[in-house]
Amino acid sequence: MLFLALLSASIALADAPVLKLWHGYRGGEEQAIEQAAKAFTALTGTQVELLAVPYDALSSKLTSAIPHEAGPDVFIFAHERLRQFHRMKIVAPSVALDRSKYLAPAVDALELDGTLYGYPLSIKCLALFLREDRGFAAPTTTAELERLLTQAADPSKNQFGLAYEAGDFYFHAPIFFGFGGVLFKPDGRSQFDTPAMTSSMKWVKSLQDRKLMPQEVSGALVKTLFNENRAAVVISGPWFTGEIDPGVPYSIHPLPIVSDTGLPMAPFLGVEAAFVSSRTRQPELAQAFAKFLSLGDATVTRVTLGRQIPAELAAYENEVVAKDQMITAFRAVAERGTPTPNTLEMARVWEPMKLALRAVLQGGVAPEDAGALADRRYRALNREAPPTTSPLPWIIGIVIGLLAFVGYQLRAGRGTSFARRFPEAGRGLLYVAPAATGLFVLVIIPFVIGLSLSLFHHDAGDYTFVGLANFTDILTSKGYRITEPLSFYFTLVVTLVWTLANVVLHVSIGLFLAILLKDPLLKLRGVYRVLLIVPWAVPNYITAMMWKGMFHQQFGAINAILGHLGVEPVSWFTHWTTSFAANVITNTWLGFPFMMVVSLGALQSIPTDLYEAAEVDGASKWTQFRRITLPLLKPALLPAVILGSVWTFNMFNIIYLVSGGEPGGGTDILVSEAYRWAFQRNEQYGFAAAYSVLIFFVLFAWSQVTKRLSGAEPA
Amino acid sequence: MRPRVSDVRLVGIKKSFGDNVIVKGVDLDVTPGEFLVMVGPSGCGKTTLLRIIAGLEQADAGDIFIGGKNMNTVPPRERDVGMVFQSYALYPHMTVKENMAFGLELRKLPRAEIDGRVAEAARMLELGPLLDRKPKALSGGQRQRVAMGRVIVRRPKLFLFDEPLSNLDTALRVQMRGELARLHRTLGVTMLYVTHDQVEAMTLATRVAVFNKGVLQQLGAPLELYHRPTNTFVATFLGSPSMNLVDARREGANFVGKGFSLPAVGDAQGEVKLGLRPQDLRVGAKGPLQGEVEAVERLGFDGYAFLKTAAGPIAARFEGADVHVGQTLWVEPQGEVLHVFTADGTKALHHPETRGAKA
Repeated sequence: MLFLALLSASIALADAPVLKLWHGYRGGEEQAIEQAAKAFTALTGTQVELLAVPYDALSSKLTSAIPHEAGPDVFIFAHERLRQFHRMKIVAPSVALDRSKYLAPAVDALELDGTLYGYPLSIKCLALFLREDRGFAAPTTTAELERLLTQAADPSKNQFGLAYEAGDFYFHAPIFFGFGGVLFKPDGRSQFDTPAMTSSMKWVKSLQDRKLMPQEVSGALVKTLFNENRAAVVISGPWFTGEIDPGVPYSIHPLPIVSDTGLPMAPFLGVEAAFVSSRTRQPELAQAFAKFLSLGDATVTRVTLGRQIPAELAAYENEVVAKDQMITAFRAVAERGTPTPNTLEMARVWEPMKLALRAVLQGGVAPEDAGALADRRYRALNREAPPTTSPLPWIIGIVIGLLAFVGYQLRAGRGTSFARRFPEAGRGLLYVAPAATGLFVLVIIPFVIGLSLSLFHHDAGDYTFVGLANFTDILTSKGYRITEPLSFYFTLVVTLVWTLANVVLHVSIGLFLAILLKDPLLKLRGVYRVLLIVPWAVPNYITAMMWKGMFHQQFGAINAILGHLGVEPVSWFTHWTTSFAANVITNTWLGFPFMMVVSLGALQSIPTDLYEAAEVDGASKWTQFRRITLPLLKPALLPAVILGSVWTFNMFNIIYLVSGGEPGGGTDILVSEAYRWAFQRNEQYGFAAAYSVLIFFVLFAWSQVTKRLSGAEPA
Repeated sequence: MRPRVSDVRLVGIKKSFGDNVIVKGVDLDVTPGEFLVMVGPSGCGKTTLLRIIAGLEQADAGDIFIGGKNMNTVPPRERDVGMVFQSYALYPHMTVKENMAFGLELRKLPRAEIDGRVAEAARMLELGPLLDRKPKALSGGQRQRVAMGRVIVRRPKLFLFDEPLSNLDTALRVQMRGELARLHRTLGVTMLYVTHDQVEAMTLATRVAVFNKGVLQQLGAPLELYHRPTNTFVATFLGSPSMNLVDARREGANFVGKGFSLPAVGDAQGEVKLGLRPQDLRVGAKGPLQGEVEAVERLGFDGYAFLKTAAGPIAARFEGADVHVGQTLWVEPQGEVLHVFTADGTKALHHPETRGAKA
């Protein structure tokens, strides 16, 4: 009986529909979505399985899982990726969506070629945060804002009026639109060299020049300045409310109208929506669930618990919501917002804009020239796809090559039987198998894939075979002069100089310290040794971020020290030399301990009586170093130098985190450049793979040289 | 060309490492052209003294004169001394030729001169075929010769050797000892040689300096030290097997100890220590001292027997006789052979006259 009961229960469970929902929420937002899912279960009896995926990983997980029917029925994502999801055919159109129930821009954001996808849940956009305790009225125009800032700022006390991440185009976009900027021409391409671009840049630069706002602002700095009352006004989004210290009085307002044009500053509007998977087995249920999440109680929960700005209009009528100053303020802001275009072209705008912005803010480029700079970068980054060619000759070539190889091997093996020549081959293979498997899976397969990828052009999920076009484009520096940072040759030279400078510094500093530490009479020798190895023990990205902070123009320790010495503060990342030097300094800090440890070990293995003999022979200390120490260190130091040079050649972290390629990509090295082509410049995977292959060839050549170097002196 | 020679003079040299006093005030005069061997047990300060002379250590007190010049603060490279290290200290990354030429290159000698000197030293030491090898490819004896060659080519005023033969096997040591003696004869320079091996000291030295616990015990020609040791330390340190020492008391015309009585020599009174070289004693059926044989070292026809007597252990020579362990036998001195020391052994009171006169 019991058995039967269990059986029927399990059948009932198996029959009961289960919906899977993937999202990237955490904290209050996650609680809100869990509560809404429970409400849906209570209402319909349908179980909902929730899976929280880290936001950064969610997109790639969705695009890989859904086509294999392993994905969710419903997922929550920002609308910017909608075009990509649509291209990959993982999202289904929404059914019977009533436009009138939502904020108009929120629905617009979900439209692709006249069809709506998903149900809008919440919106995100920028607003003006004002510290209430300063007694300023909210500015409605830029003229008012400037007056306010002038009163609020006091450069002598390091007090500013305004703080926002001015180097990021997401934050500059409202100003750009407010000055009449238009991102896309009717043909869909971008054109930046316009008067609106110039005037928006000029305005921001003037705020910075008048010290109304600080330079090189990061999100963390915005938070600090606002909380410490060193910035009266901040431009940020809903997430900023969570960063304001409790007890700091503030209010939220729409961004002001630009006095020169009379246009409002229109922020980008991000819409989070519940999308239905195109591969769901229960489309009706999934549509109902997605719709349920976007309306009614689910929305109210999201507002009260998750502090998200609802896309549903009715939610604002709710008693609790209507009293919430933050929510209502953002609604007012959102109505002026423009949805971030969900076009592929949008993805190509960020980097050129960022380049131009930083160049102007750092003073390297006049506001009038910013547009031209952005245009050039835009054209360079958005390469025309090379002509498609047929892969047939390649396939035939590879097949012939393989056949020839196999044939050669068979011929070579003829005569003596294999078992004769290698009687223990079976056991040998067994021993080799684990390492061989690892090598195959971790090295050979990725290498072959990378190699093949370099022969393709990638555009939004479509790969076309282009033969060697990527290589010829790179090697002929197509689209830019070889003296420009985007050119392979420029980057190669930078990489070589970078490697050489680092290795020379690492070895000389490391060796110098090792010689000091070798002295057995040195007091606290053990303490110094540990302290000097510490830089090596700290994860390098942490060190990189610390140095990045120390190089900050206004708040960094290095400029503070220089200031005390009477040196003008250096804007480290504005000029190539200082930016490059900052990278080298950071990496030298990280790199010398290794050379020191290696040298110390090798130094200690040199018998002291050699020095005594040399001394009696008549050698001075310097001669002893040159004729005894250096030659005897060579066998230990040479492999370390080779290793160090390869590490430095590919030292992505430091470049990416310290200079970030500033100014204008000039300090990027080959690997960081390859990374940008793959992940920041329109996903040109094939082009980036070609870069990687070229890096491989450079390092391969170097390894041949070093082989010769170390082979010349048999140890 | 006759090599320059020099004398070395040490006055009141003291040296300690931390609380460890190694050299306790040494005065020493080395005459030009002599081969002076400094000998003593491990830790007696002889190597430290050599290193102080070379300039590799600084003395805490005292003066060093080389060739009449005070060298207290002169760095090693300006003292014009050559040193052969116990470990040889050959430069592993240089060939034999480069090792030898190194010191000359540093002195900026013309290339031809360098090559000439290296070739000459190589001929002298039979290193000719090895000149292009690295030290790693050499045998112990060959390395030893290179270390010597490195000093020879420089033609210093003073040669210093720090236990140069201690890393060689016995046969090679005997051979190298001969070569060193020949080298000294050929070059005629002053050589200072540190060893703990009394055989090297006896065979090589024109004079031997015996050290113990940082103090110079006795300085003299090898046979003088052997025949007229100034105290029991020197007496037992030189000679093999060691001199027998027994406690005794003067009673009338005799020295009387436990289980023996010998005719007295000299005018020592009261408690004394008597020294008897095993070579001067014979094992036989009669004699003044009786003991049980505990061990036998037979070298062939003759050998040494080690007896347990009432006065203590005694070593004595035997010839042909059928001596084996467990036997009870007598020991008899061969003539007038008694060395007499004070009871604490710090001073000699009497040596056998005839033998001492020969030395």
